[in-house]
Amino acid sequence: MKSIKNYLYISAGLLLLASCKPTVETPALTAGTADFSRYISVGNSLTAGYADGGLYLEGQLNSYPSIIAKQMAQVGGGAFTQPLFTTDQANGSGYVKLTGFTATGSPITAPVTTNLAVRGTATIPGFGTVILYTKYSGEINNYGVPGIKLQQITYAPYGNLNGYYERMLAGNAGTNTTAYIDFVTAKPFTFFTDWLGNNDALGYATSGGAADALTPKDQFAGLYNLSIGKLTAGGAKGAVATIPDVTSVPYFTTVTVGAILAGVQKANPSVAALYINARSSADIATTTYAPRAATAADLVVLTFPTTKIGQPVAVPGVGNVPYGLTPYAPIENQYVLDANEITLTKDYVDDYNKTIKASAASKGLAVFDAFTFLNNLKANGMVIDGVSVNSNFISGGIFSLDGVHLTPRGYAIVANEFIKAINKQYGSSIPKANVSAYNGVKFP
Amino acid sequence: MKKLLLLLMWCAPVFAYSQGFQVNLGGQKQIGMGHTGTGLLQDGASVFFNPGAIAMLPQNSVSAGISPLWFKSGFNPTGTNDKYFTKDRVATPIQAYGVWGPKDARWKFGMGIYTPFGGLTDWGTDWVGKYAVQSLNLKAIFFQPTLSYKLTNALSVGAGFVYNHASVDLRRAIPLADASGNPGQAKLEGTGKGYGWNAGIFLKTKTFTAGLDFRSKVDTKVKNGDAIFTVPTSLAASFPQPNTFNAGIPLPSTLSLGLGFYPTNKWTVAFDANFVGWSSYQALAFDYASNTSALADTYSPRNYKNAFALRTGAEYKYTDKLALRFGGGYAATPVKDGYVTPEVPDANRYYLTGGIGYKLAKRLDIDLSFEFEHLFTRTQTNIETQLSGTFHSNVYIPGVALSYHW
Repeated sequence: MKSIKNYLYISAGLLLLASCKPTVETPALTAGTADFSRYISVGNSLTAGYADGGLYLEGQLNSYPSIIAKQMAQVGGGAFTQPLFTTDQANGSGYVKLTGFTATGSPITAPVTTNLAVRGTATIPGFGTVILYTKYSGEINNYGVPGIKLQQITYAPYGNLNGYYERMLAGNAGTNTTAYIDFVTAKPFTFFTDWLGNNDALGYATSGGAADALTPKDQFAGLYNLSIGKLTAGGAKGAVATIPDVTSVPYFTTVTVGAILAGVQKANPSVAALYINARSSADIATTTYAPRAATAADLVVLTFPTTKIGQPVAVPGVGNVPYGLTPYAPIENQYVLDANEITLTKDYVDDYNKTIKASAASKGLAVFDAFTFLNNLKANGMVIDGVSVNSNFISGGIFSLDGVHLTPRGYAIVANEFIKAINKQYGSSIPKANVSAYNGVKFP
Repeated sequence: MKKLLLLLMWCAPVFAYSQGFQVNLGGQKQIGMGHTGTGLLQDGASVFFNPGAIAMLPQNSVSAGISPLWFKSGFNPTGTNDKYFTKDRVATPIQAYGVWGPKDARWKFGMGIYTPFGGLTDWGTDWVGKYAVQSLNLKAIFFQPTLSYKLTNALSVGAGFVYNHASVDLRRAIPLADASGNPGQAKLEGTGKGYGWNAGIFLKTKTFTAGLDFRSKVDTKVKNGDAIFTVPTSLAASFPQPNTFNAGIPLPSTLSLGLGFYPTNKWTVAFDANFVGWSSYQALAFDYASNTSALADTYSPRNYKNAFALRTGAEYKYTDKLALRFGGGYAATPVKDGYVTPEVPDANRYYLTGGIGYKLAKRLDIDLSFEFEHLFTRTQTNIETQLSGTFHSNVYIPGVALSYHW
């Protein structure tokens, strides 16, 4: 018996060994010169956590502001509340999900239409129909509103035109008069992130330059400085982000002129070119369009139905011609961001970014240069904790199924870039988020 | 029976590191004396330390020992205050030796079974580096028949043939999430073999003993191991199943020089120096039988460099029955900056050891040892995975052996 006891002692000793862990020291935590006790996030769909062509609960829960806030909480950040959809209405506006791949490897998607948070529609005179979502009442820290442009932040009736903004407001569509910038600054805050301005260029670009318009440069500068003035008026510190080059997102880089042409040539080798209806000049004042042969410099949007190519189109005086293969029936403007439109958009984005950087510098704000970051990502990709990511559609892991908005992994990377910029500017040590805990596109 | 069960509780058949993934747990007496033994005449463990010494051993013997090993590593990713620790897994390096020769013959035959290389690191399935590695379990068990011959009363030589049976189980997550958000996993399991040799010279004078030993590189090949990929169904075609892999790992050579001094008849003082040819480990490559555009063969540069270790120890014969041992040493890491991986979070290290030998009966000895190793904190960004952070590691190795000699 005694010796059994001894063995128990040995076992206990070995258990003790098993439980001793090496001491791991972690860096000291500090908020530096910033105060994160009430952090608010201002911005558009990217800020709201929009993904896969919709705003839904899972995207909201993985929004970059919520990831930043979680990390900020370790250096004195307070509670961070988002206008979440309920779990019963978790699919929010609806979104698309991947259901498989075709034999040639093209993704097949399907819309998610159950458990939505749609409460109806409203007809706004002079504007049109607005989809309304289940109202959210309660604390808000994340003020991201999908679709909002910088141009619209002082527009008092905007709460009637955008269902995502309307759901945060008390009043019903048609009765709202609170401008976005006043809404977000109504309650005191100590820190903010501001990523507005994307839609001022992206709206034009994603419509292939056919609808929407680029916000004039001077108007952008005026509104940007005004918004930063209001956001910093109470002494809050913050971080802003530049606007990405629209051509750095897979919405414009996945379906290429070369790939479409190669597909056509497989069936009909005599086809030499695709034709597009292209802008004649990169000058903002000249708005004439004319058909011409497409080149690799023209970008086709992700949503272009490639089956249209070659379909007979009746052209008066010419007869039936194949779509997209002759100057008589070029690929329509809304499907192509042509070379001149790209030049024009880039010029505006460059100017917007100069405004953003200058405004941030004047107030001593941190800057996440999303323009440079996403261009680098497109050119070189990157590896984070053993995960290789790049700007490719689906396989890249960063962009969601709509080709513009991000996956949780993409938002986590953005959150870490914001954190890096904030720490640098304010001497804080907000710990980085664990990117490997966030997924890319989900596969069935 | 209960005793046996309690002991077995701690014995899962797995092995771990001492430098890179080299384990230096050759014998309990030698562990107690800081892993010295190349230049000593202790016991059957000379089969491992220096086959040249076997012919000089005064007795025939059989012995068996085990050194349950806890490799404890912690990781703090750069710029975070997150902490990750390896799971509590115990590796069990073993040592078993027999030496036999006719009384007064000039030769002796020896047989050794020991585990000079291996690694067991399990960071779990959900840590920050899961896409680099989740767990590695590498085992190598060497079988070494040996012959030793006494040239003169002062000089003997010996050599053995080495057969290595190895097994590997490497797991890592694949960054492809299924509909529920669970990532995929790659599991590479296989067994392999390799051959080598171990030869040494032993010198015995009135005032000191000395040994020189060379254990060759053992190129170990894993053939047709199972490559098991768990990925979302829609991607199954890109990761064909079943699939197999081939991989090779060159277990490095070790050149050792050892000296023993005997200041009084109660004291033995020993020194060992090892030079390990780690530069043979240039890359870890997996060659899959079926490749697809998503599943290419992998080639991960390791670029290890040759490394040394310095060891010293002493034994004090307290009584005829009881010996006390202690020692320590320093081992330089073979892993260059930028190549440190979580499966082998290696760093320069020092270690301290202690041991007790007790004569249970006329022909039966028990030897106990304990070793503590501390790896110096190492902050690294791996060039392949960009996993960046600071590793903190300690190793705890108790051990026991019984030997019967006649």
